[in-house]
Amino acid sequence: MKQACHYASRLASDSLDRPLSLWERLRLKLHLSMCSNCRNCDNNLKLMRQINTLIRKNHYGQLRLSEQQRQQLHKALDQHDNAIH
Amino acid sequence: MSPPDDPHTWLNEHGDYLYRYAMSRLHNDELAQDMLQETLLAGWKGYARFAGQSSIRTWLVGILKHKIIDYIRHEIRGRNLTEAVESDPTSAFFNANGGWSESPDAWKENPEDLYSNEQFQKVLESCIDKLPEKQKIVFRMRDIVGEDTPTVCKCCDITSTHLHVLLHRARLSLRKCLNTHWFEKGTHS
Repeated sequence: MKQACHYASRLASDSLDRPLSLWERLRLKLHLSMCSNCRNCDNNLKLMRQINTLIRKNHYGQLRLSEQQRQQLHKALDQHDNAIH
Repeated sequence: MSPPDDPHTWLNEHGDYLYRYAMSRLHNDELAQDMLQETLLAGWKGYARFAGQSSIRTWLVGILKHKIIDYIRHEIRGRNLTEAVESDPTSAFFNANGGWSESPDAWKENPEDLYSNEQFQKVLESCIDKLPEKQKIVFRMRDIVGEDTPTVCKCCDITSTHLHVLLHRARLSLRKCLNTHWFEKGTHS
């Protein structure tokens, strides 16, 4: 199986985005069981994904409209209202 | 109770949520505010078409989502970014037999500690910044924003296969960069 680790890294990456086929799953599982380098890579990619999820939840989860923005938006909606009536 | 059916009420009840949605994708205050305004107005104009099968919020997010996709798509097209699919930069990480040219290390730290470490965040940001433009865009959208595959493909005018190729490249480069600039250097406590 030439290019085995290269291919395994692609499957490990793809598994974060799509369900692997049965054949792909078996192939990846078998390869990871024999290859500590690829096990590390697979775990590294998963850890990266977990950190990115934390960034998303913590960073953007706190955002609020400022009072000024809110007022500006209300005003813009009023102007639009007047334009149609 | 009658359903809240005017844009002022929507702004009060869903404004923060919609703003967060827009900010996480656009990273620009003014732009996010504009998109939010356009969404509320478009929602008001099209309210007759809102049949009430979903919540108002879901319906408004749908409108906002389309506006953002259109915007990003237009932006990306204007920049005319190309990346050849033929030459594969990930080959550099492997030897002629397809094995690793440099063994990946086991990363011992846990995600919460890394996330809350400002120094690590800086390293991560600079590593993402070094990615080629197109990889950076798809990586951010998919892994940081958490956008689903069809949306990323639509924004970038690419097939899902092409997206998987780009993400594979981005993630392996990022893995290597983090390994070199953080994990290899040992303890940071």
